[in-house]
Amino acid sequence: MSNDKIKVAVIGTGNIGTDLCERLLKDPKFEVIAFVGRRSTSSGLNRMHGRVPNLLDSGIKSLEPFWAHLDGVFDATSASAHAEHWAIVQKRKKWIIDLTPSRIGKPLVPVLIDKSPSMKISTEYVANYSMVTCGGQSSAALIYAITKHAKSVEEVEISSSIASLSAGPATRNNIDEYIDSTENMATLLTGCSAVKSILVLNPAEPPVMMRTTVHVRAANFDLVQILKESRDLVAKVKSYVPGYDLVVEPHVAGSGQISATVKVLGSGFYLPEYSGNLDIINAAAVETATQHVHLSRLNRERITT
Amino acid sequence: MISFYDVTLRDGNHAMRHSLTPEFVREYCQIAEQSGVWAVEVGHGNGIGASSFLVGKAKSDDNSLLTAARENLKKVRLAVHAIPGFATIKRDIIPAIKAGVDIFRIGTHVTEVTTAQKHVEYLSGQNQTVHGVLMMSHAIDLKGLVSQAKLMAGYGASAVVLMDSAGNYVPKDVALRVNALKQEIGVQVGFHAHNNLGVGVSNAISAIENDATIIDGSSMGLGAGAGNAPLESIIVNYRRMESTAPSLDKFLEMSHLVETKCPEYLPRTTSSSIQSGDAGVFSGFAPQVRQLAAEFGVSQEDLWQELGKRRLVAGQESMIREIAQDLMNL
Repeated sequence: MSNDKIKVAVIGTGNIGTDLCERLLKDPKFEVIAFVGRRSTSSGLNRMHGRVPNLLDSGIKSLEPFWAHLDGVFDATSASAHAEHWAIVQKRKKWIIDLTPSRIGKPLVPVLIDKSPSMKISTEYVANYSMVTCGGQSSAALIYAITKHAKSVEEVEISSSIASLSAGPATRNNIDEYIDSTENMATLLTGCSAVKSILVLNPAEPPVMMRTTVHVRAANFDLVQILKESRDLVAKVKSYVPGYDLVVEPHVAGSGQISATVKVLGSGFYLPEYSGNLDIINAAAVETATQHVHLSRLNRERITT
Repeated sequence: MISFYDVTLRDGNHAMRHSLTPEFVREYCQIAEQSGVWAVEVGHGNGIGASSFLVGKAKSDDNSLLTAARENLKKVRLAVHAIPGFATIKRDIIPAIKAGVDIFRIGTHVTEVTTAQKHVEYLSGQNQTVHGVLMMSHAIDLKGLVSQAKLMAGYGASAVVLMDSAGNYVPKDVALRVNALKQEIGVQVGFHAHNNLGVGVSNAISAIENDATIIDGSSMGLGAGAGNAPLESIIVNYRRMESTAPSLDKFLEMSHLVETKCPEYLPRTTSSSIQSGDAGVFSGFAPQVRQLAAEFGVSQEDLWQELGKRRLVAGQESMIREIAQDLMNL
């Protein structure tokens, strides 16, 4: 049965949830069973008329009749609502992909699955994956490539600039949480506790594309290996985030210091191209769900055959 | 009554490439305490919590600088600048409260005030004195400026400070904006000049004439880009306007200290600063522009112009390399 579509619900009908829903509808591996909001007048819900069979407007409890048909859910609501959603999903023995900055789930950056020891697909079917932040998703490949070929990593810094228009009220209100969550991922990846994350909003018109710069200070580097590994990993990210590019390759930026910059152009499912920050989170969510289901189906086949 | 707000030990740290030490802070604050300044702001050029590869690593950490200042300021208030996105409440603001800071200035790019809501509300909820700072204040129309200033006041800021971060204003620009805020927002208005066009002092005087009550300046103008309005020059002007103005002696002593301690960092108005000011680009980019123009063999003037065209904001230092690279490949 491993060729079955992955049956999912998306909770949260804001910008992220709506973009995610569009993305899943275009992906032949997925079937969107339900799109869940809190208001019947939500423009996100109305947009999906005739395209998603069940448009529900009473939050997660309206999923009651559908659990038997679902493999898992995507949570694009808020950090405070996520804890409740996760409790229900666990009871129903499903997986959940957390797109909120709740920091409840396990941070996961798809390109590093089985590369970094901290990034693994769960062997348990019931699982909660956190998509960290856009800064986290866009920097992880570079952080991994640089620190893998460095000795004694002393400091890691991630700075991202995004278009003001792409930063909604939730991002603005949770800027400290964003910094915390991004730094937490960098520590998890590198074991280094001297980590810093910076977020800058740029209001220029036309809107700027997201850029993330990684700086690493360490005792020793192998720049040739770093370049090779970065190009390779950037190409792998590009397979699920087409607008991801290395715009400044890793270079020595001072004594014991390497730096590199990526640009993230959105793929324009629902949100405009300058929303690379939102695009990379949603792309990561879809990729994570795909890999989680793939692994659990393989395991199930192994048991049944 | 004007409150003179001394940014030598914060904005000046930009000019010093963030090499400020507790020893210098101590020596400076001992004179400042006797001078008649209202507050002394201390820290990294981009505020507390900003030491980074992106905008420059500080030689001394926030806490050691703040402690040195606190030990030597009794009457005079100790102030910090903090930018959401760099500084967080937990990591930077709470420790600064514990270090005895009296005034917190929370700054954002002029269009992005909503990112400061939590920080301003937190501080005013803790009964701390909190000011809202609108950085790059030239980069918005008057209506937008007033509505962003109103947000700051609504979150609980007891003053809103207009920063001319690019040194773009001439005196009539300052008059127009200060007046509009005085009429509309119902909290104190402050002004912070940069001297890119050579009119920093005139701009500060224009702010005073239009009833701004908090005036920023730094000794010898020590600050980002072409520097700030020199505090001693503001004072000497103000003495001709107001009989209760502070005496000049200690201000000259502070500027002498700066002149002697860091002659290599003294800012000046140059052809490059006039171009960046006129193009409305953040003054703090100057060191990166100098370095990268040389590295890529492009002219500083071209690089400033391109930064202006792409409307870079403070904190996008890492894009200067990409832009220099693009210019080289033209």
